[in-house]
Amino acid sequence: MVATVLKLRYRVLGNTLARRPWQLVGFCFGILWALSILGIVISAMAATGALSGLETVRPIAAIGGSALLLGWVIGPLLVAGIDTTVDAEKLAPFPLSRSQVMTILTATGLTGIPGIATSLAALASVVMWLRWPVAVVAAVPCAVIAVLTCVLATRLSSTMSTGLGGNRRGRELIGTVLLIVIIFAGPIITGVLALVSGAGNIGEQVLRVGTVLGWTPLGAAWAVPGDLAAGQYGTAALKLLIALATPELLWFGWGRALDRATVSPPRQTARTVRAGALGLFGVMPTGGVGATWARSLTGWLRDPRYLRQLIIVPLFPLVFAFTGGIQGFLFPLSALLSAFILCFVGYTDVSYDGTAFASVLSSPIRGQEDRWGRVLGAATVGVPLIIVIAVVTTAISGTLERLPAVLGASLGLLLVGYGVTAVSSALIVTPVAAPGDSPFKTVPGQTFVSGLLVFVVMAACGVLGAPALGVSLTAFGSGNVLLGWIGLAVGLVVGAGVIVAGVVLGGRTIEQTGPDLLVRIKAFPVG
Amino acid sequence: MTETPPIPALHLAGLVKTFGQKVAVGGVDLIVPPGSFYGLVGPNGAGKTTTLSMATGLLRPDAGNAWVHGVNVWAEPQRAKAMIGNLADGVRLFDRLTGEQLLTYTAMMFSVPREEISQRVSDLLDLMDLRAAAGTIVADYSAGMTKKVALACALVHAPRLLVLDEPFESVDPVSAANIEDVLRSYTASGGTVIVSSHSMDLVQRMCDHVAVIAAGRVLAAGTVDEVRGEQSLQDRFVALVGGRHTSEGPQWLRQS
Repeated sequence: MVATVLKLRYRVLGNTLARRPWQLVGFCFGILWALSILGIVISAMAATGALSGLETVRPIAAIGGSALLLGWVIGPLLVAGIDTTVDAEKLAPFPLSRSQVMTILTATGLTGIPGIATSLAALASVVMWLRWPVAVVAAVPCAVIAVLTCVLATRLSSTMSTGLGGNRRGRELIGTVLLIVIIFAGPIITGVLALVSGAGNIGEQVLRVGTVLGWTPLGAAWAVPGDLAAGQYGTAALKLLIALATPELLWFGWGRALDRATVSPPRQTARTVRAGALGLFGVMPTGGVGATWARSLTGWLRDPRYLRQLIIVPLFPLVFAFTGGIQGFLFPLSALLSAFILCFVGYTDVSYDGTAFASVLSSPIRGQEDRWGRVLGAATVGVPLIIVIAVVTTAISGTLERLPAVLGASLGLLLVGYGVTAVSSALIVTPVAAPGDSPFKTVPGQTFVSGLLVFVVMAACGVLGAPALGVSLTAFGSGNVLLGWIGLAVGLVVGAGVIVAGVVLGGRTIEQTGPDLLVRIKAFPVG
Repeated sequence: MTETPPIPALHLAGLVKTFGQKVAVGGVDLIVPPGSFYGLVGPNGAGKTTTLSMATGLLRPDAGNAWVHGVNVWAEPQRAKAMIGNLADGVRLFDRLTGEQLLTYTAMMFSVPREEISQRVSDLLDLMDLRAAAGTIVADYSAGMTKKVALACALVHAPRLLVLDEPFESVDPVSAANIEDVLRSYTASGGTVIVSSHSMDLVQRMCDHVAVIAAGRVLAAGTVDEVRGEQSLQDRFVALVGGRHTSEGPQWLRQS
């Protein structure tokens, strides 16, 4: 049974790669990347084992192992997306018991590229213990336990965060909380370190953290060999117990999560508003621009796929305040970094429509009207947000005289971004999570090239935004108020010009490319 | 002196579409007279949806042309699309909006004057029995309700030509009958409907014209009586398309 599903999974991968040569290129790069990371990690481990004493190797093993596990839990949610080639939802129609489903999913997790890389790295961790034979013997089974823990943990977290897990609200909440936790991870770690530190330098603090982690489910499996090497058989036994209990508990928890998920499948709650509550559609003027504006703005305010980008933005000032203090250099520039994030969010805006783009295409609106509507929708949220961040951060840091410069740089970049994306979104569509799906779900068919296109769009924003950025940042650095106002003027004028040009060009383009974009969107594999 | 025929509501000439090696539509010609209720029937994969997509400006043909009331769909898409009410098959709606918002949005996209929008939306909600679900987001609708709201969207700007791809799929019989009545009075008042369907009974009952399409070609077209001759439309269709086999099904599937 497991073998059948595994074969199927590799067949799916093979077919996808065979049909999309560029994805094959991306895949090869992925493998190369995994191999190089693996090489670096193994040599680092070998060096640690050969050069350091037991008192250093032990905490480092625990810290490395904990980081690995955290990476498995967090990485798929934030960076890589969750692989849904085989998931509980797809296996549901087959007559399989819950534990069979879980076994299959564990096996597919172990045999994916990350799973293989992790297994190799974990087994190779033996090289750290070469000088302590008893630890070598223990390290192999411990590595197996650790890898299993990683896979089970990631399955549990993805069940809870996507697909079947809980209801939509719950999923969105988990995602948002996770994002915030990640962003604050830096400050939190600093805080924890400060708590742990009774004694001096960073190195000692790290070692202390490692020792503590060895007692937690995160690092227990990695601490057992070290304890054995040091002859501490009692603590080794205790930690082994922790390490063995962890996958058991994860398995149990995952089973419960799957059960809950099948009992209360997603989309159970129908959200109903009062009839006649038209929202923005009652406010905007009739016509293509108004309609698109209302739709786009509704998306920006309600669609998790847009909101995900918006939520990060106000967190920048907080992070900078934590790390550099409000007197720091970066804090008043938070608005610029926020603008940087916002400016290319819509670079494949049509992708977010999905096949509903057909209804845009069925309507008699001109390409320009569509572009204006989308730009206005994005700007209605983005511009005020950036202005507020700029005013608040400069006011708090007591650098209000630099406000024009900050506004010049950030609005200059943001407006240019709207102009650039008005063109790029008429040319590029990429597979994105369907509306209502978890924004964290990975979508098959996202290619290496479409990933690279983000950088092309960013570069275009950078080039066109260069005048405003140059003047404004010079003004910011020198504190020259007049130059700051000039920067703001340049930013607004150039930005407005780029938007108009982008809308005209993008509008003309999408009238040509519209049907082809729809064909491409329809051809995307459904996630 | 010959009488000039009226400009067709929809005129397709030599439409061709190939996907890779596969010829989905291999030269479709069709004339839909104004005021007609035109049925487009064909087996699965015959090219009905592809044809209608090319006729409504959603899919660029490899060759051929489409005119709506004399306006070339691919040369003047905005003018043509303003006359078309399109219910496309196999595409989503903006289903994060409530039914009422979606209808209002569609009306705005077609520049229906603001003061007329709420009346039209309200009428359509009653017509489709969607009043109770007006404030529910479309993603939470059942398949039949989604079809009905999509149909309402196609009607909201009072188009001259209605292009409906599988409009009655999963719609309950009561709603279907109501919609049928509305469509009949719409054609009686001069509107044109072209509808694709698998249901021969429905086409024979509702349509005055029919085209049988298979493997990307029109096999027969004309008034329903012309096409079916002495036979029922179902029998005529099977005779044209072929592929009917009499069998009891495989042995292993039989329960006794």
